[in-house]
Amino acid sequence: MPPTNSAEDEDTSSPQTSFSRQTSRVRDFFSVPAPVKTLFNSVPILTYPPNDLPQRALKPTRVPILYVFSTKEDAAAGRPSFNPSCLKWQAFLNIAGINHRVVSSSNHASPSGSLPFLLPASASSNASQESFKPIPSNKLIRYAKEHGAIIEESTSMRYEAYQSLLDHRIRSAWLYTLYLEPKNFSSVAYPLYVSSTSSNPLVRASISYQLRAAAEAELLKQSSIIDTDDLYSEADKAFEALSILLGDDPWFFGNEKPTLFDASIFAYTQLLLDENMEWKERKLCRALRRRENLVQHRERLLVRYFGGS
Amino acid sequence: MASPVDQGDDLFESLQKTDEKKLEEKAKALAEKEAAYNEKAKQRLMDLIGSNSTLPVTISSIRLIGAKHTRRSFLDRLFNPILSANRDAPYTLSEALEQVGSAADRLRKFDIYHEGISMFVDRPSPTDPSSTPTDIDVYLQARERGRISLKTGTDLGNVEGSAYGELHWRNIFGGAESLNLNASAGTRTRSAYQATFDTPILSDPDKRVSVDALSSSTLKPWASHEEALKGAGLKYSWATKSGMKHQVGYTGIWRQVTGLAANASPSVRNDAGDSAKSSISHTWVADRRNHPFIPTRGYLMKTVSEIAGWGPLQGDVAFWKSELETSGAIPIPIPGIKGDSGVSLTGGLRAGMLYPLPLGFASTSQPSRINDRFQLGGPTDVRGFKIGGLGPRDGSDALGGDIFAAGSANLLIPFPRVGKDTPLRLQLFANAGRLLALKDRGGNTQKSVYNTIAQLGDSLPSMAAGFGVVYAHPVARFELNFSLPLVMRRGEETRKGLQFGVGINFL
Repeated sequence: MPPTNSAEDEDTSSPQTSFSRQTSRVRDFFSVPAPVKTLFNSVPILTYPPNDLPQRALKPTRVPILYVFSTKEDAAAGRPSFNPSCLKWQAFLNIAGINHRVVSSSNHASPSGSLPFLLPASASSNASQESFKPIPSNKLIRYAKEHGAIIEESTSMRYEAYQSLLDHRIRSAWLYTLYLEPKNFSSVAYPLYVSSTSSNPLVRASISYQLRAAAEAELLKQSSIIDTDDLYSEADKAFEALSILLGDDPWFFGNEKPTLFDASIFAYTQLLLDENMEWKERKLCRALRRRENLVQHRERLLVRYFGGS
Repeated sequence: MASPVDQGDDLFESLQKTDEKKLEEKAKALAEKEAAYNEKAKQRLMDLIGSNSTLPVTISSIRLIGAKHTRRSFLDRLFNPILSANRDAPYTLSEALEQVGSAADRLRKFDIYHEGISMFVDRPSPTDPSSTPTDIDVYLQARERGRISLKTGTDLGNVEGSAYGELHWRNIFGGAESLNLNASAGTRTRSAYQATFDTPILSDPDKRVSVDALSSSTLKPWASHEEALKGAGLKYSWATKSGMKHQVGYTGIWRQVTGLAANASPSVRNDAGDSAKSSISHTWVADRRNHPFIPTRGYLMKTVSEIAGWGPLQGDVAFWKSELETSGAIPIPIPGIKGDSGVSLTGGLRAGMLYPLPLGFASTSQPSRINDRFQLGGPTDVRGFKIGGLGPRDGSDALGGDIFAAGSANLLIPFPRVGKDTPLRLQLFANAGRLLALKDRGGNTQKSVYNTIAQLGDSLPSMAAGFGVVYAHPVARFELNFSLPLVMRRGEETRKGLQFGVGINFL
């Protein structure tokens, strides 16, 4: 019935319009009055070109930059990083064929609180704020896909199971052997992670303590006590399982090209088998060296994607 | 006819009735009599001292009454030089009183006694065999302040408000040593803990040594990060007779640039991390203004110099940093008004330079870090710009500069109806500043510093002008200004319109 409808319409619409009238009145009261607005638009009278940046400022780049744990010289030469999570993504980007530069950095610089992260290239001189947004490691796969890499992702149950072997058993053993073995801490972790932060001995002592406490806390999350024999034997079994999985194939899961999983394995095998790391307590390294095909897998990736030994 | 009983009642009643006016008059008369009596007593004392001012006296003893916790050796050093036993010639009465008065002044400066140290003079009994006819005994009476005081409250610094809790332990070992523990949390300084131990040297309140330790975490939204500081320092401060204050100290600090915002620029990400600074600094202040917040006369000069990381100092950064601040005020006479019109013109000038040095015993110098560079702009600095609004910027982050100069001219006018005795003033100001980063001249630091200083004057500095209201509260100076930026560089952040500022130290 049209008349009542229109009457209803009027009823519902008139309070709205008076309300919106009231809000616009309030907004007008707080907004800048017209004469002041014209005054604001006429200043500043003179605008000069922008100030020059200090020397430590980063100049805009054409190549994306990956921030990892590394030494200055190693980063300039593109050599593998000494941190497993950084090395995993560094190898992944190399495999995916994404051209990038490597810069050594620390956890404080990362948007997610931990390295690695990627700073995309600023394509033009007046790039918007968006292009400066750094990409944390969990968004790197999407970034690689956007830039033309062809990524095969296996989502089988076996894949998940083997990935969990890496993330828990091997990682726990790695944390223990790197941070909580005293000989290894002073010969491997201290020069790589602590000495680069500062030259002051008090600062270094404080950071060493924080690193060891963090590693211990991380291990205590998995179990209520830290049993070294248990950790090493679990890692040994994990290496055995991975070795059986690889078999005689060049890459894991019978793929023709290496995938993210190969990069994850490489992250640990490279660091455990590298002579330059100068491990003193070599139990974990020996366990890995017994699996010949994993050693060859590492060599293959090293030669193909990092230019030799 | 009124009966005798009625009359008696009336009389009784009239005696009981308290006449307000009469009481007031009586009280006034009593007060006047007391004042006159005090005046006469003062006059008599002055006459007495005046007529005996050249009377030769020897001070045989000085007694401090009411100082239970003060060390004997501490007081000895203060009073021994005055005792006549340690002097060759006798005093005149006025000289003696002057000497004891200055010793009492020094006692007051230690801040361990309540206000009002009173002095009495007496002649020792003539039957005392150790006294001579010219001897006088001096008695000083003081009341010690509480040893431990706990204070909580709010504090106003430059553009920041904070709440704090403070524990102050006075006179720990009897020699005016003090320990101060302070914990505060504020709008910009998320947390700060500080412990300071302070002691005067050789019983001289003008010479102090202090040891302090600090742990704080400050938000710096203009550069999208948070700076965590942990450090300790040793300082020695002294004041000259003319009122100039000096302070020399060593500080060692561990700085950490952390907690970067999501949109932090790449340059700030580059500087994130730890650095240790080990430096020696010197501060000199000469404050001759007649009011710290709305001066009408006088001048202020302050210099701060710091050398870090050079030679044996080590650390991670090495530079020579120097900052100068001057400000002056002159009263402006208005033709129609007799005497002090209350109108004053104040001007201020600030300049600073960061000169990079080689670290330790190396040969090449490192470029400066964001922690050490200067920031310019803000309601207490160059008004009309946001905090850190001037200088080199990457995106929205203020990176800071190595060389800066800023100046301002303010005209303070008392409000016409309120007058010049209130702390309220109308302000007309114009201020300008320039903040530059050191140019890279291929390793020749001296050349790059000279070139950058020359660049300060090659074009107009960024400037703003406006008017506003100033309120000088005893705690801080409050300002509400309407400002317009006139000259700026692209990227610098200006504030058109109203800007509110609170602080102690304005340009």
